Amino acid sequence: MIQNNSTNNGGTAPTDLNVAPLSRRIRPYLIVAPALLITIGILIPFGMAIYFSMTGYTFRNPDPTFLGFKDFAFLKNWIRMFQDAQFWNAVWVTLRYAFWSTIIELLLGLGIAMLLGNTDNRFSRILRVALIFPLMVAPVIGTLIWQLMLRSGVGIIDKFLNTLGIYGMQWGASSKTAMLTVVMIDVWVNCPFVIILVLAGIQSLPKSPFESAKIDGGSAWFNFKTLTLPMLKPTILIALLFRLMAALQEFGIIFALTKGGPGDTLMSLSVTAYTRAFLYQKFSGALPFILVLWFIVNTVAKRIVTAWRKSQYQATGKELEEVAKKEGLIKRLVKGGKAK
Amino acid sequence: MTAQKRLYSILKNAGLAIYAIFALFPLLWMVLLTFKSDAEMLTTTFVFHPTLVNYEEVLLKTDYFRYIKDSIIVAGGAVIISVLAGVPAAYALARYNFKKKEDIAFQILSFKFAPEILVVLPLYMIYDKLGLYDTYFGLIWVYQLISMPLIIWVVRGYFEDISVEIEHAAQVDGYSWWQIFFKILVPLIRPGLVASALLCFIFAWNSFTFPLLLAGIKIEPITVAATKYLAQNTVHYGQMAVAATFSALPSIIFAICIQKHLVRGLSFGAVKG
Amino acid sequence: MKKLFALLLVVTLMATLFVGVGSAEGEFDWKAYAGTKIQVMFNQHNYQKAITDYGKLEAFQELTGIEVEYSVTPEENYFDKLSVALSSKGGDPDIFMTGAYQVWDYASAGYMEPLDEYITDPDYNFADFYPGVAGTLAWDCIPGHAVGSGHQWALPMGYELNDIAYNKKYFDENNIAVPKTTGELLELSKSLKGWHGGENDYGIAVRGTRNWATIHPGYMSLFATWGAKDFEVEDGKLVCKLDSPEAIAMTDYWVKLIVEGSSPQWATFTWYEAGANFGAGVAAILYDATCNAYFQSYPADASAEAGNFGWIPGVVPDDSGLTENDIKSNVWVWSMGMNANSDNKGAAWLFLKYFTGPEFMLFSGTEGACADSPRASVAESEEYKAIVGQQFNYLESLDALLPNATIQFTPQPYFFETTTEWAATLQDLVQAYRDTGSCDTEGAMKALKAKLDIAVEDLVCE
Repeated sequence: MIQNNSTNNGGTAPTDLNVAPLSRRIRPYLIVAPALLITIGILIPFGMAIYFSMTGYTFRNPDPTFLGFKDFAFLKNWIRMFQDAQFWNAVWVTLRYAFWSTIIELLLGLGIAMLLGNTDNRFSRILRVALIFPLMVAPVIGTLIWQLMLRSGVGIIDKFLNTLGIYGMQWGASSKTAMLTVVMIDVWVNCPFVIILVLAGIQSLPKSPFESAKIDGGSAWFNFKTLTLPMLKPTILIALLFRLMAALQEFGIIFALTKGGPGDTLMSLSVTAYTRAFLYQKFSGALPFILVLWFIVNTVAKRIVTAWRKSQYQATGKELEEVAKKEGLIKRLVKGGKAK
Repeated sequence: MTAQKRLYSILKNAGLAIYAIFALFPLLWMVLLTFKSDAEMLTTTFVFHPTLVNYEEVLLKTDYFRYIKDSIIVAGGAVIISVLAGVPAAYALARYNFKKKEDIAFQILSFKFAPEILVVLPLYMIYDKLGLYDTYFGLIWVYQLISMPLIIWVVRGYFEDISVEIEHAAQVDGYSWWQIFFKILVPLIRPGLVASALLCFIFAWNSFTFPLLLAGIKIEPITVAATKYLAQNTVHYGQMAVAATFSALPSIIFAICIQKHLVRGLSFGAVKG
Repeated sequence: MKKLFALLLVVTLMATLFVGVGSAEGEFDWKAYAGTKIQVMFNQHNYQKAITDYGKLEAFQELTGIEVEYSVTPEENYFDKLSVALSSKGGDPDIFMTGAYQVWDYASAGYMEPLDEYITDPDYNFADFYPGVAGTLAWDCIPGHAVGSGHQWALPMGYELNDIAYNKKYFDENNIAVPKTTGELLELSKSLKGWHGGENDYGIAVRGTRNWATIHPGYMSLFATWGAKDFEVEDGKLVCKLDSPEAIAMTDYWVKLIVEGSSPQWATFTWYEAGANFGAGVAAILYDATCNAYFQSYPADASAEAGNFGWIPGVVPDDSGLTENDIKSNVWVWSMGMNANSDNKGAAWLFLKYFTGPEFMLFSGTEGACADSPRASVAESEEYKAIVGQQFNYLESLDALLPNATIQFTPQPYFFETTTEWAATLQDLVQAYRDTGSCDTEGAMKALKAKLDIAVEDLVCE
């Protein structure tokens, strides 16, 4: 399609946008500007956070002078953090939590969405709407409900296990099962998000390859592996991006369930930073924890986004070169169109 | 073959049913709790004396509807601002080619991933100075971190999938750019816009840390207020359940109304048939 | 003690009389700050309810012409929110609820207004407060120094001691004697597993989350009774004493008590979960704040077991030679303080004066359901005793504890950090004991001591 058009429009001389009049060159920036300006406010707190992480800023000392060198700590807070065993534990907890919750949500979400996408009866039509309801409950409140369901002697799940002769499950109260419990709640809250993303992806798949595959008579698993999965790759990457980034930072569920306990079992970077900043009120000492988290999140996000853009082009059958051509075409079209 | 097919179908439905129980049972149980009195909360399971006392306590004796109103204003306001500023930005990021385009696009997306705890303390100090603490505008602004990136990225995908010659043809027909945008492009991106707007509404509605620390006297969204019902002099699981159930209702109603868009609309501009 | 009460009662009555005369003459101008607006931050509690939910706030606004804006936040998040607000130094809120431990942090960092000048107001009758209660809110801001001297930083709304509540009905029916020593309490708690006919029923409920709240009620009370200390001042520095033989022995005992006699889900128990388990007849004993069990018992439909409870002051360590009179209790005082950066201190004082004054406190102590009134005039009144005195041995236990009740922690501004890390260590020990049947309490407490010594290293005690 695109290629055809580009030859059709070949009569228009390709002009570089950079030599267009200034007003036209800055137009895209102007259009993006409101959105950028609204969100750019975030950069101010971010800058302040880096600045404060190098001062002695605490609740007891809220006026640190940094450039005046009074409470200049420079890298002291950072060095302390890297020497702190709780920091390395926090990194490990954060990564484990993010890994397990994301992988389970992706696999389960993919599986359920495939089942829903392949079934068309009243049951599945109702489920398509109903299954996303957990997303509507605020995670903090959802956690409180789960905690109550797991409560020994009170909760419905504990009572059910009692009828099977299982007593005294500790769930969040034991370092052996605390991670499992918070991951389970995270899956309950967030798996619906993956399901709707994948369902949307499945619905937008082209029909023809599947029809020809039907004629070829390949097994359902074979079709899934060779057709559906590769074409769903962009969708899966987007789900991965959103879930992994959120899971790396998850705070509400962990804090509402165990406050990071028992011991340091669930003291992730977010929970540690919150505890140190707001409970211990040592703000500047807590900021490096959260900045490290931000660094991890940003680096991983960038890689996934790049992979996603690439997979999107591949899945649409466009090679990168053609994409480049397409973008060249747009330049001409925009220029040509506006010139009239 | 038919036996195998039937078995496959049974397994499929069984798998769905198991997940449905996992996903929906907690919600049903929550609704059940709303009818239980405090005294029976820990001593009964399914058989108990249903009562409306929790509803009375929460809906009639407290400012419950004020909290709901606040939530609607801040979450709704956040979505409207994001749509107004985000859709043009998405268009520009999809259509124009300019320096640092991908960087800007990623930068916007990365705001969604900024740790809330990192943002909230410096932001409190700024808000306090600017008089934005505990205002609708202050919360709507900070919620842009939640809603703007999602809207821009979903809608951008849609714009990218609309072939350029549609616009070109319309231009040839003498439509102005604004006419093209509203009459041709907006209807085409609507599924994505509606779905992402709803999702943003839900995420903004569910936000906890921001409204907890950046508001709370004049303005108090329901997620923060709902935790108040849990424990007073003693624990009130039933009242908390009422507060939680009603707080989820607006989103659930919206979701049912636009269920078709919701699933269709979130394809992030992947492959369209 | 009784004599002191009687004396205070007389003083109070005279003072009340005086107040009556004073206001009749119209000397005090409640309207002095009409038209100003103040902001108040409340922690969600019965004390807050008494102010906001019974029309008293409207009455105050009418009387003074001051407009009051307020927020109510659950305890889980309250202090985080308050700390953020105070540290901006913006002057809001003008008035906030606080506890004594928070004063060590907020006052020494300069966020609280000293109230010494204000409380000399004769109408206010400051002397009516139990000295032991109001004294916990006075401090000289020197880490390691005991409370009771220095500026008065806040004014009490109510206080809580910590004692043992038990299911008296069940104990009576089964001829179970109330425990007197720690050994008896442990054996009894063990034997009560399944006491109410359910597999999940257990002996004793105590708090266990990774939070300072786990340390300060029952644990800290028994810790002090045992003779242990958290910190001591040596050479002008705070030195952690959690590795002392008493601290180790007591913690070792507490770990055993939890694993053998408490809920398997102890590590996620807050005050309300411990209380709810007790009220539902899942736990037979509760070692927590006095009012926690009280709220399960009053009013009569508060819980399934309401009305079946009795109270004792506590237990003493085996073979220690201590008696019931040596039992110590830690104190918690909900109170209100004034923001040092407030722009409306005059109006803010009127708020404090009204809502911690004798007239309002009689209302809150009775109709307002705020048990444990800090004002002698209220606690000794017949109306108060008629309601609270219905509970078996409740007031008697309080009376027995009061002489030895004080804040058992060493005042220092990093209280939250030290007690939260302490709770985390306790959780680790319980986990180890549950998994292996033994735990290295000595090693864990030594490691904790080392950690806490570093946490408080920048404090200077002079």
